[in-house]
Amino acid sequence: MIKVFRSPGRHGYAVEASPFLPNRVACAASQYYGITGCGTLLVLDETPRGLVSVRSWEWGDGLFDVAWSEANEHLLVAGGGDGSLQLWDTANQHAPLKVAKEHTQEVYSVSWSQTRGENLIVSGSWDHTVKVWDPSLSRSLTTLRGHEGVVYSTIWSPHIPGCIASASGDGTLRIWDVKAAVCRLAVPAHQAEILACDWCKYDQNIVATGSVDCSINVWDLRNIRQPVNHLLGHTYAIRRLKFSPFSQTVLASCSYDFTVRFWDFGMNPPLLDTVEHHSEFVCGLDFNLHIPNQVVDCSWDETVKIYAPACLSAGSSAAQGAQADD
Amino acid sequence: MLRLKVISGHLSPGSPHTGPDLRATRCGAAAGGPGEDVVVVHGRRTAIGRAKKGGFKDTTPDELLSAVMTAVLTDVGLSPHQLGDVCVGNVLQPGAGALMARVAHFLSGFPETVPVFTVNRQCSSGLQAVLNIAGAIRSRTIDLGLACGVESMSLQSMSNPGDLSARLSQNPKARDCIVPMGITSENVAERFGVCRQKQDAFALGSQQKAARAQSLGLFEREITPVSTRVVDSDGRERQLTVSRDEGVRAETTLEGLSKLRPAFKPDGTTTAGNSSQVSDGAAAVLVGRRSAVEALGLPVLGVLRGSAVVGVPPDVMGIGPAYAIPAALKQAGLTVDDIDVFEINEAFASQAVYCVEKLGIPMEKVNPCGGAIALGHPLGCTGARQVVTLLNELRRRGRRAYGVVSMCIGTGMGAAAVFEYPGL
Repeated sequence: MIKVFRSPGRHGYAVEASPFLPNRVACAASQYYGITGCGTLLVLDETPRGLVSVRSWEWGDGLFDVAWSEANEHLLVAGGGDGSLQLWDTANQHAPLKVAKEHTQEVYSVSWSQTRGENLIVSGSWDHTVKVWDPSLSRSLTTLRGHEGVVYSTIWSPHIPGCIASASGDGTLRIWDVKAAVCRLAVPAHQAEILACDWCKYDQNIVATGSVDCSINVWDLRNIRQPVNHLLGHTYAIRRLKFSPFSQTVLASCSYDFTVRFWDFGMNPPLLDTVEHHSEFVCGLDFNLHIPNQVVDCSWDETVKIYAPACLSAGSSAAQGAQADD
Repeated sequence: MLRLKVISGHLSPGSPHTGPDLRATRCGAAAGGPGEDVVVVHGRRTAIGRAKKGGFKDTTPDELLSAVMTAVLTDVGLSPHQLGDVCVGNVLQPGAGALMARVAHFLSGFPETVPVFTVNRQCSSGLQAVLNIAGAIRSRTIDLGLACGVESMSLQSMSNPGDLSARLSQNPKARDCIVPMGITSENVAERFGVCRQKQDAFALGSQQKAARAQSLGLFEREITPVSTRVVDSDGRERQLTVSRDEGVRAETTLEGLSKLRPAFKPDGTTTAGNSSQVSDGAAAVLVGRRSAVEALGLPVLGVLRGSAVVGVPPDVMGIGPAYAIPAALKQAGLTVDDIDVFEINEAFASQAVYCVEKLGIPMEKVNPCGGAIALGHPLGCTGARQVVTLLNELRRRGRRAYGVVSMCIGTGMGAAAVFEYPGL
């Protein structure tokens, strides 16, 4: 059962499920495909009436990524084409609580730290830098320099405090130690631009990268000479990828080829399913943390879709069936 | 528009990485809009004669120069009064031929009000003349200029090094500047492992490509026939018209090349067959600001998109193009893959092979009409000659494309320029 939200004139760039509310997602969208014009941040609730907007804010430039606070269910941060990060409060319908403008070019990624005892934001920008912020966005705490290209993706490790993975147009995946403000690892992960990366939720050493070369590489950071898995199937650049919160070896990817693909790199062949329900680039993707196998995605075709891909449900029912047999 | 460019890059895998390449920098002659482009209108060259043996052996360089200066302007119907400046590349004449150039100027019927100057950057002098005129156009000193190159290696030799300090012997780099060119070729071959077989195969290719181009008449459009005289061995003068390159040997074989003895050291790999020939010749290229060129109703044969001259160690001066070409491409915002034709001067097969391999250039893109091994290398003329040959080749291919002209430079430099052929 697919639930669809339409955002006329706004092309989806990122969608993130709330870590607090099982029925809430946030979507960063932009006018004119994000090439020019303004942006909109949407908060959508899944209700019996369908997917409805409960809050929306306009921003003067395109919005390219959004992340929910891991500490406060009302807060979220978005990154914009004007180089700004904005802190938004769902209880405040007018202006952002705070705007921080330090990046000199487009902010393409924001991530909120997930480890206990740490409450930080990281942003990645086309100005080649990664910046770490306290959650009030007063001033950046650290600027991480080293990428020789545009930074497309920055994600906190869900396991290791103060550890960030970043993916860049320079073809490298980098692992950063925020406390020491140094790059611990630079992995030449693809021979092309890398648009996406994510950490495995079950193994602190596993990171996946998605590239313009249409492939996904799964890396074990203890041995980076070659990827532990190389996933082929997409026919255009991979724009975003996410590990499943429920299975160690399952991940989802969305692409400029209009599809969302689900993979289990523990299986052979690894491709579980290809979902073709968009008519434009699919840029945003997330797993729901509360409802196993529920996925949300957004596309340049002006839609946000929530669905439960059959391949994941089948897998879980098979697993449940197996348990029942025991 | 940066965002559009970045996203377009995502859709065409294999496109250059982001970073500096992605910035929408105005580059090369494009700065200031298309009207400000530095464009090539037309170019002509003489046939290239074999020094001391060929049809130009008794022809003074002012005559060669005058032939091409006149031909270029006549072809496009431009009065010499319109020229803002004339620059002539020359290496061997005293003072780079400043006097000779002004004489050629008057022999061509150019008015005294038009100035002329010469430039000597060794083997890149002909290209440097183009770049000097381009610089004057960009600085808005002039709108239109004639860039030329000329050399008579029959009448002047490379033997006189001029007056040099005795301290030269204590400075290794300075000392390397007087290493004979053939020895720099041996150095390149040894240091970078370019074997004799590769050099000979490259030389054979040059001869075959030049012979093919000659037999198909591909050079007819660029060569201005020159009527001159030669003095025979018995002292008799004879009139003749030179209209074919004299160094091309269609009958060259790999076997024949492999039998030649090393020319510069006994155990060397550089031979007369895999080195450039000593030659006489001239070339001229009409260059202008696009807005001025269009206002005069003149055609645009090529657009200068970038150029660079870089320094390299003098004792391996032949590697210059391997450093100059990337610098010029970067300025133009292009990569090796974007270039259809490379005119890389074949001072020696050793250095040409090294540069081509170092840059990963597919061999079929290099000197499609042959190079200096077959055609000859009249030092000051070569750069301008290559521009003429390149743009004619791109014109024959018909579609919009980019080409590069490059050469190594004695005393340790490389020069390169990127041209765009705008299409029919």
